[in-house]
Amino acid sequence: MLPFLLKSEFHFPREKLITGDKIMINFKNVGKVYPNGTVGLKDVNLTINDGEFIAIIGRSGAGKSTLIRAINKMHSVTSGTLLVDDVDVRTIDGKQLRKLRRKIGMIFQSFNLVTRTTVIKNVLTGFVPDLPFYRSIFGIFPQEMKIKALEALDKVGILDKAYIRVDQLSGGQQQRVALARTLAQNPKVILADEPVAALDPVTAKQVMDDFLHINQEMGITVLINIHHVELALEYATRVIGIKEGQIIYDGPSNKVDDDVLSQIYGQKDGNDEPIR
Amino acid sequence: MMSLYDKIFKPKVYTLSNGKQVSQKRSRMPVILILTVAAILISAKVTGFSLTVLVSRISYFFVMLKDMFPPDLSYMARVWAPLWDTIKMSLLGSVIGALLCIPFALLASTNLVKNKVVTAIVKFMFSLVRTLPTLVAALIATYIFGLGTLAGTVAIAVFTFAYCGKILYENIETVEMGSYEALGALGCHPLSCIRYSILPQVLPTYLSTVLFCFEGNVRYASILGYVGAGGLGLILNEKIGWREYDRVGMILIALFITVVVIESLSQWLRSKLS
Repeated sequence: MLPFLLKSEFHFPREKLITGDKIMINFKNVGKVYPNGTVGLKDVNLTINDGEFIAIIGRSGAGKSTLIRAINKMHSVTSGTLLVDDVDVRTIDGKQLRKLRRKIGMIFQSFNLVTRTTVIKNVLTGFVPDLPFYRSIFGIFPQEMKIKALEALDKVGILDKAYIRVDQLSGGQQQRVALARTLAQNPKVILADEPVAALDPVTAKQVMDDFLHINQEMGITVLINIHHVELALEYATRVIGIKEGQIIYDGPSNKVDDDVLSQIYGQKDGNDEPIR
Repeated sequence: MMSLYDKIFKPKVYTLSNGKQVSQKRSRMPVILILTVAAILISAKVTGFSLTVLVSRISYFFVMLKDMFPPDLSYMARVWAPLWDTIKMSLLGSVIGALLCIPFALLASTNLVKNKVVTAIVKFMFSLVRTLPTLVAALIATYIFGLGTLAGTVAIAVFTFAYCGKILYENIETVEMGSYEALGALGCHPLSCIRYSILPQVLPTYLSTVLFCFEGNVRYASILGYVGAGGLGLILNEKIGWREYDRVGMILIALFITVVVIESLSQWLRSKLS
């Protein structure tokens, strides 16, 4: 019934796409030029449906982070239209932007937790925007939020760590706390910016399993920036390859071969060895 | 200038067995030593420091000290009220100053406020207020609010504001900003980001700073009475003027015990915080 519990039944790459028809994210001729003149994104066209599991690959500085951070306007784009859940990201800010960000979870390479407090307090921050003013000031969370936070921790398998300070956890456990915080906000989309780059291979796989689990069970759209090509091909159903701010590959992960990889990772000086 | 020094005092050259040469510049220590001694001599001259006066008059200190003992214990009944005034002044002043500095410290932090003009102005304001000695602040406050403990409270609040504010914004600027970014990304208002990301990181240091400041404030508050700002200083000034040294002794003992009690209390609390 729950295939993700039986690891042996889980063979990759998967053909089956559990995706809805609804367009979640839509880039139309999107470009981004940084104030110092660096081109971050160039003429990006991209349609992402509800429930997809997408890996974005490319070399450092190719524009992976810029692409992912444009979606929740952590970086703003400078041309084109970018629709997220039918909202034009370029035109909103303040309250509307915060409302949109409620629907978009974000996971970072360095976890970005408040390490000096407990795990549960970190997960509870996922509810802060929903709190009334007086509760927010004093940090008093209603009982049902605490239950939800504990359930989120249970989903990522670290319920027993709830009342331990974050700085006492390992990297893999910290990334799971971050995942639980994201789950607490009940997002439609999760953006993950190099979520496993700071983790060892075994832990990285466990965290990727968590993402898959979340994508399959809860139907949340997942976009991951990732350097590990094997992990990208193993877990994602669709791969987007970026080079110098442009999308040069967009297709199913089982169609990614050495040719595609050398296009994405190939160097200008003729050294076309793919980095695997 | 320093190269000129090297021309006058040639560097020492070592020759290694393989013929390579390494030159070591002559130490600047003699010059620094001469300048330091000169500075000390000039200071002594300007301030009228005289060792002979010091030696011949030091015995009067012991005369005074002897007069303080035994202290006039019956006078203690009159010490309680100004002692409480001193403690109340420093406690209230510390609390007001410490709370008031928070919004300004946030405005002074370059990692929270992107507008460089705002942070520069607030930082300048902090250093301006900090240059004001507490005694001078108390004197000004007595002109504005009249003689009494209110003036002392204001003076202590002003000092605490500047001191805790400076330490707080420096602390905020060294905070790890990852969690702040994460809270922004999940839709928190910037003030919520501060409440849930910055606050937990700076709170222990902030409380420790405030307690440390309060400790010092109890000592400061005891002399503020000299300029009419209420508290122990008022009667201390009076009793020294009347040469009632046994009563001065009583006041000093009361102050000493109070300071020791408050300092050990605050040290214990601070050790709990870290």
